[in-house]
Amino acid sequence: MSPRRIPSRPGELIDRSTTVSFTWNGRAFTGHQGDTIASALAAAGVEIFSRSMKYHRRRGIFSANHWDPNLSVQVGDEPNVRAGSRRLLEGMQVSAQNVWPSLRFDLGTANQLVGRFLSAGFYYKTFMRPQFLWHSLYQRILRKFAPGGRIHWNTSTHGAYDKRYAHPDVLIAGGGPAGMAAALSAAEAGATVMLVEQEPELGGHLRWGANDDLEVLADLRSAVEASPGIEVLVDSTVSGRYDHNWIAINQRSHPLAPERLIKARAGSLVVAPGLIERPYVFAGNDTPGVMLAGAVRRLTNLWAVRPGDRAVVLTASSEGDSAVADLESAGVEIVEVLDARSGADIVKVDGRGRVRKVHLGDGRTLAADLVVTATGWTAPTSLLNMAGDRPVYDPVAARYFPHALPDNVLATGGITGDGSIAELLAHGRETGELAAARALRIRHDVLTTTARSTSPKGPRPETVPDDRIPLRRVPHPECYRSSTHGLVDFSEDISSKDLMQAASEGFDSIELMKRYTTVTMGPSQGKLETVNAASVLAEARQVDMADVGTTVWRPPFSPISLGALAGRIFEPVRRSALQDWHEANGAVNLLAGQWVRPDRYGDPMAEALNVRNNVGLIDVTPLGKLDLRGPDVPKLLELVYVNRWQKLKVGRVRYGAMVGEDGVVSDDGVTGRLAKDHYLMTTTSSGAGAVWEMLEDWLQTYRSDWEVHVTPVTGGLTSINVAGPRSRDLLERLVGGVDLSADAFPYFSVRTGTVAGVADCIIWRIGFTGELSYELHVPSGHALHVWESLLATGSDLGAAPFGVEAQRILRLEKGHYIVGQDTDGLSKAPTAGLAGLVKLDKEDTVGLPELRAAFDRTDLPVLVGLQPDDPTVVPEEACQIVAGDSNEILGRVTSSRMSPTLGRSICLAQVDPKLAAAGTSVTVKLVDGSRITATVQEHHAHLDPEGERQRV
Amino acid sequence: MSEIDFRGPVDSVALSAPDGAITLADESSCTKVLVRGARKTAAGIHLKVTYGRSRRRKDGVLVCGSRPGEWTLLAEPGRSGDVAESIPSEGFVSIVDITHGRAMLRISGRDAVGALAKVCNVDLADDMTPDGAVFSGSVAKVTCDLVRDDRDGERSYLISCERSFGRYLFSAVADACVEFGVDMPPGLSIH
Amino acid sequence: MILVPCPNCGPRNSSDLRNTGEVVPRPDAATASLSEWRSYLYLRDNPAGWVTETWYCRSGCRTYFTIERNTATNEVRGLERT
Repeated sequence: MSPRRIPSRPGELIDRSTTVSFTWNGRAFTGHQGDTIASALAAAGVEIFSRSMKYHRRRGIFSANHWDPNLSVQVGDEPNVRAGSRRLLEGMQVSAQNVWPSLRFDLGTANQLVGRFLSAGFYYKTFMRPQFLWHSLYQRILRKFAPGGRIHWNTSTHGAYDKRYAHPDVLIAGGGPAGMAAALSAAEAGATVMLVEQEPELGGHLRWGANDDLEVLADLRSAVEASPGIEVLVDSTVSGRYDHNWIAINQRSHPLAPERLIKARAGSLVVAPGLIERPYVFAGNDTPGVMLAGAVRRLTNLWAVRPGDRAVVLTASSEGDSAVADLESAGVEIVEVLDARSGADIVKVDGRGRVRKVHLGDGRTLAADLVVTATGWTAPTSLLNMAGDRPVYDPVAARYFPHALPDNVLATGGITGDGSIAELLAHGRETGELAAARALRIRHDVLTTTARSTSPKGPRPETVPDDRIPLRRVPHPECYRSSTHGLVDFSEDISSKDLMQAASEGFDSIELMKRYTTVTMGPSQGKLETVNAASVLAEARQVDMADVGTTVWRPPFSPISLGALAGRIFEPVRRSALQDWHEANGAVNLLAGQWVRPDRYGDPMAEALNVRNNVGLIDVTPLGKLDLRGPDVPKLLELVYVNRWQKLKVGRVRYGAMVGEDGVVSDDGVTGRLAKDHYLMTTTSSGAGAVWEMLEDWLQTYRSDWEVHVTPVTGGLTSINVAGPRSRDLLERLVGGVDLSADAFPYFSVRTGTVAGVADCIIWRIGFTGELSYELHVPSGHALHVWESLLATGSDLGAAPFGVEAQRILRLEKGHYIVGQDTDGLSKAPTAGLAGLVKLDKEDTVGLPELRAAFDRTDLPVLVGLQPDDPTVVPEEACQIVAGDSNEILGRVTSSRMSPTLGRSICLAQVDPKLAAAGTSVTVKLVDGSRITATVQEHHAHLDPEGERQRV
Repeated sequence: MSEIDFRGPVDSVALSAPDGAITLADESSCTKVLVRGARKTAAGIHLKVTYGRSRRRKDGVLVCGSRPGEWTLLAEPGRSGDVAESIPSEGFVSIVDITHGRAMLRISGRDAVGALAKVCNVDLADDMTPDGAVFSGSVAKVTCDLVRDDRDGERSYLISCERSFGRYLFSAVADACVEFGVDMPPGLSIH
Repeated sequence: MILVPCPNCGPRNSSDLRNTGEVVPRPDAATASLSEWRSYLYLRDNPAGWVTETWYCRSGCRTYFTIERNTATNEVRGLERT
C-alpha cells in the first residue's frame, strides 16, 4: 500500500501506529496521522497530482509545502486545498482539479498542440474581438478551462467563518528558529507576543534538519510552550500589514470555523518568514520528478517518503549537499551530483508522466527518475513591502534584502542574511529584544494617554538603538536559467520564452510584464516566480537584475478565502418594544435602515381607510428623539432649523426643517417644549444619528459657551401615533392628568400625563396623516401594556394597527413630503416648498447665505402635487416627466400611490419651475415606455388642504 | 405604575458554559441614570470619578465616568427616583433616567475576554482595561458603553447599548460565546 | 486602518471615529458673500503632506478634536480638543 514509505526517521511527523483512510479520485488510500495529503499519496506511489493551467501538462510534487504550485486539490466541497501542507483527516474525499474527463486522460492536453496561440498576452489578443462573441463563446470556453476547483453553492460542511481581534505588543510572522528566538526574548522582556507560523507546526527548516537541529528545535518548542506571554498560531498566515501595524492573520486550523480572520494591532511586527527556494529554469523543468532540494528533504525527513529511485542533483549551495545526504539515507541512488558553482548545468529533462532522461550542459545524458535542484533563494519580502520598504538586489548573494524599515517593523532570520543556527538564533533574540523595547515604549505612551487604563509603571522606556550585528551574506552564484527555455510560473504556465516575447512586444517593465503575461499572479503569489521573472527580463533588456526592480508585493501574502475576509457578518437590527407583538399579530416586516418594522398587517388600503373613518395605531418608534435641556436650547434650535424658535411656549410643538450649510434640506421633524429648559426634538428615522452628531459639533466647536445637554432617547420612548376622527374618544378613556378637549389641548401642543396607568408619557397633538391625531411617547419598558390597552379599550371604536405602507398612503394624500424621497441634493429649502418657513432675518442659521441666494433662483426644481388624468394609472416612483413626445427630462415622480380615500392615483413630483403652476399639464413616461398626461395641483395635499380634519 | 411589569428587550434567560468559564445575562431592567454637568458643579464634585473610571457608592450605586462631563449611575431595578434625587442639581446639571432607553447585559468568567475579543476591538488587557474601567466602543457593530465590574475576583463586564439594539446585541455576544461552550438557544442565531 | 489619537480615549481605530475633514474656519453667516461661503463649503487644500483635520470620537467619548496628520505617511502629531 505504501511502496515509497521508508523506515522511521528521527524528525518524522507521522504516527505509524495510526491509519487514516481517504480517497483520491474515488480510489481508497490510507496514510498516517501527521501526513499531508500529498505525502500520503506520494508514499502510496502517486506521482501526478494535477494538470497545469493552460497546457494541462502532468504535474507532480515540486516544493512539498504550502507554496507548491502543483498540489491544489479539491477536498469534498472545498476547492483549492493545498495538499502540500493540509494535514490528512479520516474520510477525506480528495480529487484532482482542472481535469476533464480525468487526471490520467485529460482532453485539455490538446492545448499543448496549439501552444503558440496561448502565448504571452493571449487573453488580450484572443478575446478582444469580435466583441459579440464574448457572451456566446469566449466566456463559456474560458469557464471550461478555468483552473481551480468546484464551488458548491449549498455547502453544508463549512461552519460560519470567524473573526477575532488581538493586541499583541510584538507580532512575529514566521515560526522558524529566528522567529521562535525573537518570541522568547520579547516575552522575557515583558512583551505580549503572538507567534504566527504558516505550516502546521513551529520550527521552519529545523524540522527537516539533522539530529542537532532537531535537538535545538525541541528546546525552542518547549521554551515557547512554557512561556505564558506567547500565543502561538500555527497553520496561520500573516496575510497583510497595514498602517500603524494593523495586521491581518488568516488562521486555518480552528475547530469552530474553516478559517478565521484575526485583526491584530501590534506594537512591533517582526518579519521572519525565512527563505523560499527558487526553481531553476530549463526545458522540462515542470516534469513530474523534478523537485526542489527542500521538497526531497521534507518528503524524506518529515514524512519518510522516498521521492524517487535514481536522482541527479544540481546544486549551488549547501542545501543541495544536505539533500544528497538525505536521499542517500533514504535509499535513493545518486546518479550524479552536478555542482553549479563549477559550471555544471542541466539543459533538458525528458519524460511525460515522470522524468526519464536528463541532458546535461556538457552534452552527456543520464537516466534518472528524480532531478533535484538547489539553485538559490527568494526572500519573501511581502510584509516589508507592505510597510513601505523597497528591498534591494544584492548580486553577490543573488537575492533581495530589506532596505529601510519603519521603527515598528523589524526583520530577522534568513530574509536578512545567512548564518549558522546559532547565528540565526542570536539575531532572532536581539531582534525580539529590540521589538519588545520599542513596543513597550508604545504601550507606555498608550497607557499615559488613555483615560480608562492604569498609569504606566515606571518611567517612559528609553529609545533603544538598533545595534544588532547583521547576519552575513554568503556569496551565491546567480543561477536563474539554463541555456534552454523552461517554465517561470508553474501556476500560470508561463515560460521564459513567453516573457522574452512580452519584452520584445514592448512590455519590458516588470509591472507591465506581470499584467500582460499574468506571471506571478497565480496561487503561489510570486513566491516561486518573481525573481526568475525579473532575471528573464534583465536578460531580455541586457541590464543588471538590480535595474529591473520587482513587482510590488501586496496583500494577501498567500491566497485567502473570501469567506475568511467576510468573517462573521454583523448586521445590527433595531427593534421597537412592540416588534414582538407586531410579529405575533401578522405583521409583514419591512427593513428600514437598521429598523425592522411592520409594513402592513393585512390590506394597507383598508388600514388607511380605518384611520380616515375610525382610529388607527402605528408604532413610530424609529422616529429619532433627542432630549434637549438647558437655557440655550432656543438659540440652538434657531441655529439648526430654518424657522423661528425663540417664542415657542411651554406646552407647544412646532414643525421645523433643517438644511445643511449648502441650504439643501437635510432633515425635518417636530420639536416640543416640555418645560422651561426642557425640549424634545424629533428627527427622521434615518437622520437621527446625523442630527445628534451635528448638534454636538455646534455645541463643542462653535458654541461651546452655550448651555445645552443633548441626550438621544429614541429607543427609550416608544412612539405610538393614534390617528383618526375617533382618536380623542379613545384617549379620553385611558389618559390621566390631561384635558384632551380641543380648547385645552389644541393642535400642535404637548402635554405630559399617564396613559393606561403608565406615568411620564409625553403626548403631542400633531398629524402626519392629516387626521386628528396624537403621538404618544411612552417609556419603552411599559410600552406593550399601553399598546395593548389602546387596542382593547378602543375595539368598539374600530381601533386597529396600521403599518408603514398605510402611513405612506395617508401622508401622500395629505401631501407631506419625505426628506430624501421627495427631496434630493438640489432641494434648497426655499424651492422645496418651504419658502414660507425659512426666516432670513436671523443673526446666524445653518446655510444662511445659501438660503438667501436660493430665493433668487428660478432654475431649481419645484416640488408639486400631481394627479394623472387617468385616475386608474399609478406611475411608478422615479418615472420621468418629459417634454411631450421627446425624451427631454423636465422632472420626476417622487411619490405615488392609489388613494383609497379619493379613489384615484396621486403623486408628488419634482418639476422644472416652468411647469410648476397649478393646472399645468405634464407628460409622464412610464416604465414600459408609454406616456400619460397628468395635471399639476394647487397644493401638495390631495385631501383637505386647509387642514380642517386635523384641527377638530 | 408598580403593577405594570418592566419589559426589557431580551427575553432570554441567562446563558452559561457547562464549565462555568463564561456566563451571559440580560440586566436591562437595572436602573440607569445619566448625569450631565461640568466637573466643578456640585454634582460633579459629588460624583467624583473622572472619565474612564468607576466607583461603587456606599448605597450600592455604581458611578461610572462615562464621558467627559457625563456620568452613568447603575443600580438595581426600581431605584430611578432615589438615584436621581441623590444628585445635587444646583447649576447647569441634567439628570435623565435612561433605564428604558438602554439595554444592558453582563458577561462574566474566565473566557469573557476571549468572547469579547471576537466582537470588540478594544484591548481588554489588565493594564489597558483594569477592573473599574469605563469605556465605549463598537461591539458587533453597535456602539456600546462598557464597564469592567469584576465579581468576586472574576472578570465581569457590563455592556449597554441603545435599547432597540438590545435583542441583536445579546444574540451577537451569545454567538461569540459559542466557541467557549455556550449553547445558543434556537431563535437567537444571527446567522 | 490608521490609529487616531483621541485626547480622552487614547489611540483608536479610525473606524471608531469620523473624519470631518480639513479644518476650514466658518465665515460669519450674516455677512459672508456667496463666494466666501462657497469657499468654506467646497474648497480644500488637500495637500500630500501635513493637514489639520477634525475627528469625532463617534464610538468613544463623542469629542470633536483636531490633529495634524501627514496624508502621505499617516504620521500624526499634536492634537487638541476643539
